[in-house]
Amino acid sequence: MSETTVAPEHPLTVEEQEVKPGFIGQNVPRKEDQRLVQGEGVFVDDVKRHGMAYVHFVRSPYAHAAITRIDVSKAAELEGVYGTLIGEEVAATSDPFFQIAPPPGGHVKDFALAVGRVRHVGEPVVAVAAVTRELARDAADLVEVDYEPLEPVLDPERAADPATPLLHDDVGSNVIWSGEFDYGDYDAALADADKVVRIKRLHFDRFSSTPLETSGAVVEYNRGTAQWTIHSNNQFPGFAQIMMAPALRVGIDKLRFVSQDIGGGFGNKICTHVQLVALCLLARKLKRPVNWTEWRTDQHTANSHGNERVFLDVEVPVKSDGTLLGFRARMIDDCGAYTRYEPLGCIIWAQVTPGVYRWRNIRVDFTQVCTNKSPCGPNRGYSRMQHLWFTERVIDIVAHELGIDPVEIRKRNYIRSDEMPYETPNGCVYDSGDYAACLDQALALIEYDGIDERRRDAEARGKLLGVGIGSTLDSGTNNFGQSTILNPELQFSGNNEVATVKLDIFGEIVVTIGTTPQGQSHETTAAQVVAEILGVTPDEVNVRAGHDSYWNSHAGFSGTYASQFAVTGLGAVKGATDMLAEEIKQIGAAVLGAESTDDVHLEGGFVKRNDNPEAALPFMACGAIVNANNAVLPMEARSITLNCRYVYVPPHQLPDKERKYGNLTLTYANQIHACVVEVDPETGVYEIVDYSAVDDCGIRINPQIVEGQVHGATAQSIGAATHETFPYDEDGNLLTPNFYDYHVPHALDMPPMKTGYVESPSPFTPLGAKGMGEGGGAGISAVCAALQNALAAAGRPIVYDSSNPYKRVWELLRNPDESRALVTVEDA
Amino acid sequence: MLLAEVEYARPSSVEEALRLLAAHDGARALAGGQTLTNVMKARAASPDVLVDLADLDELRRITRGADGTLDVGAMSTYSDLIASAEVAAARPILTVVAAQIADVQVRNRGTLGGNLCLSDPTNHFPPLMAAIGATMTVLGASGERAVAADEFFLGVYMTAVAPDELLTKVTIPSAAGTGDGFAAVTIGRDGTCIANAAATVSDGQARVALGCVAAVPVVVRAAAEEDAVVDTVRATALEPPDDVHASAAYRRHLAEVLAARAVRQALERRS
Amino acid sequence: MEPIAAKRITVTVNGDSHEREVEARRLLVHFLRDDLDLTGTHIGCDTGNCGACTVIYDGMAIKSCMMLAVQADGAAIETVEGLAANGELHPLQKAFGATHALQCGYCTPGMLMSAKHLLEHNPEPTDEEIRRALQGNICRCTGYVNIVEAVQAAAKGEVGT
Repeated sequence: MSETTVAPEHPLTVEEQEVKPGFIGQNVPRKEDQRLVQGEGVFVDDVKRHGMAYVHFVRSPYAHAAITRIDVSKAAELEGVYGTLIGEEVAATSDPFFQIAPPPGGHVKDFALAVGRVRHVGEPVVAVAAVTRELARDAADLVEVDYEPLEPVLDPERAADPATPLLHDDVGSNVIWSGEFDYGDYDAALADADKVVRIKRLHFDRFSSTPLETSGAVVEYNRGTAQWTIHSNNQFPGFAQIMMAPALRVGIDKLRFVSQDIGGGFGNKICTHVQLVALCLLARKLKRPVNWTEWRTDQHTANSHGNERVFLDVEVPVKSDGTLLGFRARMIDDCGAYTRYEPLGCIIWAQVTPGVYRWRNIRVDFTQVCTNKSPCGPNRGYSRMQHLWFTERVIDIVAHELGIDPVEIRKRNYIRSDEMPYETPNGCVYDSGDYAACLDQALALIEYDGIDERRRDAEARGKLLGVGIGSTLDSGTNNFGQSTILNPELQFSGNNEVATVKLDIFGEIVVTIGTTPQGQSHETTAAQVVAEILGVTPDEVNVRAGHDSYWNSHAGFSGTYASQFAVTGLGAVKGATDMLAEEIKQIGAAVLGAESTDDVHLEGGFVKRNDNPEAALPFMACGAIVNANNAVLPMEARSITLNCRYVYVPPHQLPDKERKYGNLTLTYANQIHACVVEVDPETGVYEIVDYSAVDDCGIRINPQIVEGQVHGATAQSIGAATHETFPYDEDGNLLTPNFYDYHVPHALDMPPMKTGYVESPSPFTPLGAKGMGEGGGAGISAVCAALQNALAAAGRPIVYDSSNPYKRVWELLRNPDESRALVTVEDA
Repeated sequence: MLLAEVEYARPSSVEEALRLLAAHDGARALAGGQTLTNVMKARAASPDVLVDLADLDELRRITRGADGTLDVGAMSTYSDLIASAEVAAARPILTVVAAQIADVQVRNRGTLGGNLCLSDPTNHFPPLMAAIGATMTVLGASGERAVAADEFFLGVYMTAVAPDELLTKVTIPSAAGTGDGFAAVTIGRDGTCIANAAATVSDGQARVALGCVAAVPVVVRAAAEEDAVVDTVRATALEPPDDVHASAAYRRHLAEVLAARAVRQALERRS
Repeated sequence: MEPIAAKRITVTVNGDSHEREVEARRLLVHFLRDDLDLTGTHIGCDTGNCGACTVIYDGMAIKSCMMLAVQADGAAIETVEGLAANGELHPLQKAFGATHALQCGYCTPGMLMSAKHLLEHNPEPTDEEIRRALQGNICRCTGYVNIVEAVQAAAKGEVGT
């Protein structure tokens, strides 16, 4: 194994001025709360327009079918119905969405409504617009659609078989993308191993974070300017506009995105550009604003799911002492019926190729297939969560089979804090982190030392107790150049976010950002950063709520996704505020007669001379002079605008497409979780009786907000590990289309949760902070490990699936040999 | 999810309610609405007329007889049951089970009568009433009749109450010399039942009603001790449904385990 | 009496009387949001599971998506818009802010009404009782930890101005 050194062509460490301690790091109360606790937030369905039409989508009842006839005449005739839109019209007036995959996968034709064929249950076929919600729904019943059912493709492991029906004829197969990733020297690792652990199959199940507010929009069309205003809760307008503008055959500026409050997103509001195009066409056609609110059932069946992934023929060479030398695996990713953000999932996992471990020899055969299920979207933890879960199951199963202590094996294999920044086998750079310290804290929080006694106590009550560890990474601030590894023809790379900070005529500080927060407290944390730099309080900083393209404070990658705000958004805010601070000082210096900006400082809303603090100019005066009284300024000061727009661009480089190598993400937050479960061996019912989560996201701008994200991500992980799953029947019907069957954790379902933190600053970011909102799904791994540990006393079954509802636990108890047959250990 | 057009009436007497139900073919009684509105939102059923029973106070009384029997009006909500001193004194298992249903908002509106008349295989009260041996009073144009729990539940969403009739009250026999138990495996705390079992023991005998395993509660009798109960359940021919939450085999297994646990509880709670 | 397809109803919301003509099929939550412009009460599901639509109806916490507007004729309803009084936030609203019990804020109105209902009936709840009272309110952002803390703080009067 070779030593690694980080020696890139361009320096990665960003040198920034030191920001003095102040509001950053404090639990500043949230600005968002005042309106939200009074029910005065503006969510998309709260937006009303005079003469607004309500839209209901007629959706496919079949998973796979040809559309042979559509007749909307009876619906259109119903009094109160304004009009309809069908696929034929969409195909005539818009172009199919840009595809990220190279040919042939990139030949998928994806329109805003089904054209000629439906490919998943719930796919929108016809849009009906009427004067009331109820009438639109009634009219939908009068729409006649004839289908010729086709055989659905539902098994990702069979989707690529030659005899399987095709979803997209233009692609010629159901394989969207495939490729091999080969790092280090796997064959040498295999030869060097003392033992080889083989796992036939692991499965990461389909689920999603199901935000409480469903998707929706109110779309208006200005006929005079051909401008659309799209009030929506889409969370990635940068991506949406790049997709929508070519489809609608208009310039990007013709699409104005507006949002204020969004009721959760978690990645599920990224691919709604598809429905938005249908609404844009309808608004233009009907000459009136249109409102669409997605039903919960439609969100579950036809919006976006997290990727489902199967890991086959896993092979792990290990040394007797538990050192993992590498792994080989075949991975099949099921992206559902259409590729909207996909196939990016085929590379994004590579941000965390080795997980948190030091193994260097990795060979992956990765294939993504389409199936007649809901399209996938970048659900919280996107593609990394699936892969990290895989690495966690591997180390947990290896420890289990070789009889190695689960804590010891992790510490032996964790990347060490003194190795940071650490370059992974495929060239990603983990900026900082102390995984062992986090693990120690997590174990202390669940009183791990006393586990044996708790196990005996549980046994006396007839229960099997188990403890498990889950480690994860939250990689943030994507380098979109990784898309070129999948498709060398793509012209995407880097990342960006924009902020504008201005000092108004009356001295008011106003901030606009390009993001679309859905609860991540952007207004508050931005105000903290601005306040600290300008020497004011967060209350004196006005951050405009939400997003509006007309603010011109956004760029190609603007939005709220992928755990990056603390780096990109706040990086932009810092950059803009630094510029503004300098300009305020310039005005101050000019007016106060100081020689240079080094002779003045900002304090309490004033510019003050260093040598005479009584000589002070209030911010209000600066704003007034520049905006309305600029003849008092010397000529060289008149170019100052006090309106500073800054684009944060991370120091990304183009990756090496040939070697599939490069730094794909700027920051790596991590979480280590520990979980204690008690299983009822008679029923398979289990309870999480203790839980800890330790987070390290570098410098925490607002610790309470960070902790809130940890709580929420943990709850979602626990849901995914227990009851949240999107299974299908043999006809392609989703069996959990609502909250009745798809059970998310409620208040009584949550275990006692303890949290801790470590702060390993990132050397690569303006504030030393790392993005952290996704959380990485550590809870799923922790629950899986705890169950396997608990059931070790009952035949040692192997936990092979991310989803473990009671029925699966019972199967593991009833027939441990069946799951044990998945694993073999060979002496090498 | 929006309802189809419907007509609405809110009668002020039971007679008026029956008249409305008889006069309109597609009329349905509206009790707490915690199921019916969802059914109508999904348009799985769209009655033409809703007859709202909210003003029929006489259907909401809970009275305890001198002989220890308990009359519970069909419009009593789960919260009414939980708050009722009569219920707690006469047959506390009703309080225990009512408190496990869903959440406080649902309990404030959901009614005992609604739960029974829905006859959903996963509901809590049908197996409980079957185990206790309750009697339902059904009122129609032709008069009032008593229907034993064993004859009340006819199928999924089907009971002995005809479209032009109303369930007015449920009579719970005296608890003297008996003990009741209820055990369930649910999807999350207080969630929908995957499997459940209710048991009443008296005089060394157990009457166990299994829910979730068939269209209607399956009642078995055995000696009031766990092994006998498990053997009896195991010997009973059951074809439970196979669905996303449980396989048929898992439900069959849970039926045995929960029957035993319900009997254990009943033995502990014997009065 | 004959069944009617539409009715003129009078509903008192947060102390104000409103008279409107509504279709019999109109859900109470849509009546509040669309007819009365009280958009603080939210909709999050189709099956009465999520609780975002929770209001207090004649003193009881209910899910307004499972009631028809016509059923509420003559009733007194409290929504989130009625919690603050004379420009001052309700102790629960202050507590939610202080403990970071909301992130996106979508479940918050329903949570506040369920919590208010709880504290009116049980002024000193245990954490378990708080969770039971909120069991019908789904949150996807917070994991409920800080929400329970907020209700506890409000119950104990620990919230400053």
